[in-house]
Amino acid sequence: MSENIVILMIGVSTFLGALGLIALLWGVKTGQFDDQSKFIDAARFDGVEELRDAAMMESKKKEQKEKREKRKEKEKSYSPPD
Amino acid sequence: MKTVGRGEDTPTYQYPKESCLAEVSCTHCNLVFDESVMIKEYHDSQTLYFCCKGCQGVYHLLGDEGLGTSFYDKLGDTTLQPASQNISSDLEKFDLEGFQNKYIKSNEDGLNEINLIIEGIHCSACVWLNEKVLHKTDGVIEASINYTNNKAKVVWDPDEVKLSHIIETVRSIGYNAYPYDPSLQEERANKSKKEYYSRILVAVFGTMNIMWIAIAHYAGYFTGMQQNFKDILNVAEFILATPVLFYSGWIFFRGAYFGFKNHIVNMDTLVASGALSAYIYSIYAMTTQRGEVYFDSVVMIITFVLVGKYLEVLSKKHAVDTLDSIMGSTPTEVTTLKEGIKSLVSIENIQIGDLIELKPGEKVVIDGVVSTGQGSFDESSLTGENEPVYKQEGAAILSGSICLDSVIHYNASKDVSGSLLTSIVSLLEESITKKPHIEQLANKISGYFSNIILLISLLTFTGWYVFNGNFETALIVGISVIVIACPCALGLATPMATLVGISIAAKRGILFKEATFLETMAKSKVLAVDKTGTITEGKPSVVHAELYDDFDPALLLALVSTSNHPISKGLENYLKQEYDSLATIELENIKSIEAKGIEAAFKGKKLLGGNASLLQERGITVDATSENSLFFFTLEEKVVARFELTDTIREGAKEAIANIQSLGIKVLMLTGDHEQSAQKVAKEVGITEVHAKLLPQEKSALIKNFQDKGQIVVMVGDGINDAIALAQSNIAIAMGQGADVAISVSDVVLLDEKPGSIFEAYKLSRRTFSAVKENLSFSLLYNVIAVPLAVAGFVNPLVAALSMSLSSLVVVGNSMRIKMIKFKES
Repeated sequence: MSENIVILMIGVSTFLGALGLIALLWGVKTGQFDDQSKFIDAARFDGVEELRDAAMMESKKKEQKEKREKRKEKEKSYSPPD
Repeated sequence: MKTVGRGEDTPTYQYPKESCLAEVSCTHCNLVFDESVMIKEYHDSQTLYFCCKGCQGVYHLLGDEGLGTSFYDKLGDTTLQPASQNISSDLEKFDLEGFQNKYIKSNEDGLNEINLIIEGIHCSACVWLNEKVLHKTDGVIEASINYTNNKAKVVWDPDEVKLSHIIETVRSIGYNAYPYDPSLQEERANKSKKEYYSRILVAVFGTMNIMWIAIAHYAGYFTGMQQNFKDILNVAEFILATPVLFYSGWIFFRGAYFGFKNHIVNMDTLVASGALSAYIYSIYAMTTQRGEVYFDSVVMIITFVLVGKYLEVLSKKHAVDTLDSIMGSTPTEVTTLKEGIKSLVSIENIQIGDLIELKPGEKVVIDGVVSTGQGSFDESSLTGENEPVYKQEGAAILSGSICLDSVIHYNASKDVSGSLLTSIVSLLEESITKKPHIEQLANKISGYFSNIILLISLLTFTGWYVFNGNFETALIVGISVIVIACPCALGLATPMATLVGISIAAKRGILFKEATFLETMAKSKVLAVDKTGTITEGKPSVVHAELYDDFDPALLLALVSTSNHPISKGLENYLKQEYDSLATIELENIKSIEAKGIEAAFKGKKLLGGNASLLQERGITVDATSENSLFFFTLEEKVVARFELTDTIREGAKEAIANIQSLGIKVLMLTGDHEQSAQKVAKEVGITEVHAKLLPQEKSALIKNFQDKGQIVVMVGDGINDAIALAQSNIAIAMGQGADVAISVSDVVLLDEKPGSIFEAYKLSRRTFSAVKENLSFSLLYNVIAVPLAVAGFVNPLVAALSMSLSSLVVVGNSMRIKMIKFKES
């Protein structure tokens, strides 16, 4: 067994593990584990409908943002008649 | 009839067959009632039953929205609270400016944000439904509900929807929402919880990976390994250990730094210096290819101590959660009367002397004096006594009590910040964060210990350098002193013993929330106990009954079950116990007489139940001499039964107190009840020092008094009124059935509520503490032998490994001996 193989094995496995760790840390940071019970229930209930629901909220957020921006632009471009 | 959106596609939900069961469950809330009282509705060959209009409304609403099927599927057999009907009362207050300033935040996008507590959530289906409905509401941008603590965060666009509409939506599906102020405290608690969690993840990852590399290392040590393979393993361990030490271990470095600034050597100093020196030594060993690396012990120390700290953070957050729910349920506005005009005024704007109107069921938020009207008040959250207090003109009413049965006008005698309720909550908040901490023995010893070890290793280094002249050898020997002295036995001495202690306690129904509490409790010499609910059962029960002719238990049961008064409840329990299956009787003209009794009619006969003064008022003479509470039952103005009720003392209370006193502990009683009944109970259980008529903050002040004299105080209590005192005490013990706040500020919970458990907790904590002392002295002895060897330069890896595991084994074995403890059988 050459040294390179040992280095490769340790390196690859640690790297893969680290990827998992990073994903987990990201999940913690974005609040996905804040509620333990809900987190577990997600496994029972998640389905197409929930996905659709999430997509709906996303688009709602986007729409709302656009609306805001338009309003802002209007306010900016609005010049009082003199 | 309205169309119901729920048809054939609900095969999972079966209704009980009418023919075989007289009782059916409500289609919405699943509560079971007699069939005759249910609202029936026929639909698609199915019969739907509803317990109330509220449930019926919610059911149809969900059906119309197309949410019914999946909600009831998810709900399964869980029962809900019946939906309330008055959904539109006091909605306008949510759009008042004072309310908005207090609770609503607007973020940078111009959106509004509020934190709500949703009431009535029982299961995950409820969370799902609320989120779903809120998501469907126009203008709501984000809604997430935490199932564990029922808290919700809602973000909405104020131009599209009003908050009152959002609240109305939640109410329309049978829940209620009220806002709370996510004070900095909660946000901070949340943040530190997440931070700890991330650090633990990194630490565990590093430790687990280093462990399997270390196995290869050990195998190589005993069977021989080429230096180049050893190098690869060393480097891999080094890479894994570095983030653990500096990211996960950052907390210890920070703690050690603050300790250093304040000239305190603490456990953090020991962990940080031990881990860091082992780390540096290992890097040195790795680069020079001499000796063994200790990266595995570096990460293990960090990981284990970190997990312990995390558990502490968790219990703190829980306490904050329950506090918010007390404050959230208090009204933000009160009705004032100015020159005859009623108006809703924010409680902050109430001035001393304002006239306030109280309606039945309302919670008092501002202290005052009654000007007109009379009625009974539930003061249980202040005094712990369940019996309502009757108040009339000129009587003082305290915030935190609840007006039970009548409309009352009163003058504010204090503003909101001076009122009792506000001061209780702020005191509680303060005491949770500033709880006095007793310095743990292990901490104290490790403080001296690490100082001495650091000094010895420094002297060793200089000694070797001066006499040997070789810098490298001097450094290795110097560091080896720290490495061998530092961790195992001393670090394990306390945790091992307390772990065994805690698990024995848990088996006996005594839950210690933190291991360190065992030690604090062992040092305590003062025990303060609450009366009602702690020494006594907390509810009146019948101790004596005199029955005359014509007594019909079924009639009395029907009468007392119309009232929520604790005396009625006590009688109800008694009747259900004494007589099997009493018939249900419908009464007419039921009328409750404030704080005195109940009146009703049955088939034209007059029924009356109540205390002696009620009967005397009606011209019926009775024997009213008794030291217990009396209840008379009359039929057509003739007494047919006489009951004596009293709050009974818990079983085994007397023995338990005697046992505790025999341990040399001073027992005192603190109660909100009046002197006479307090003395009576105290005499019966053998307590000599009694403090009666105490308000919650006075209890806490008394405990503080003892603490100022240098005493360590253990407090046992069960109610909201005990919460501040519990938070102030060094060790707080709560009864398992007590109020949520009391349990969450407590350090120990007695699940079986037996007073005997207090004695067991004392005994166990003392035994555990003595084991801790034995362990500590052993590990110090070990160091006295091992350190000189290290100083002399005799420590090679084999000696280190052997002596370390041997010393750990001794500590573990000694801790196991706690299991042989015997509690006196009583």
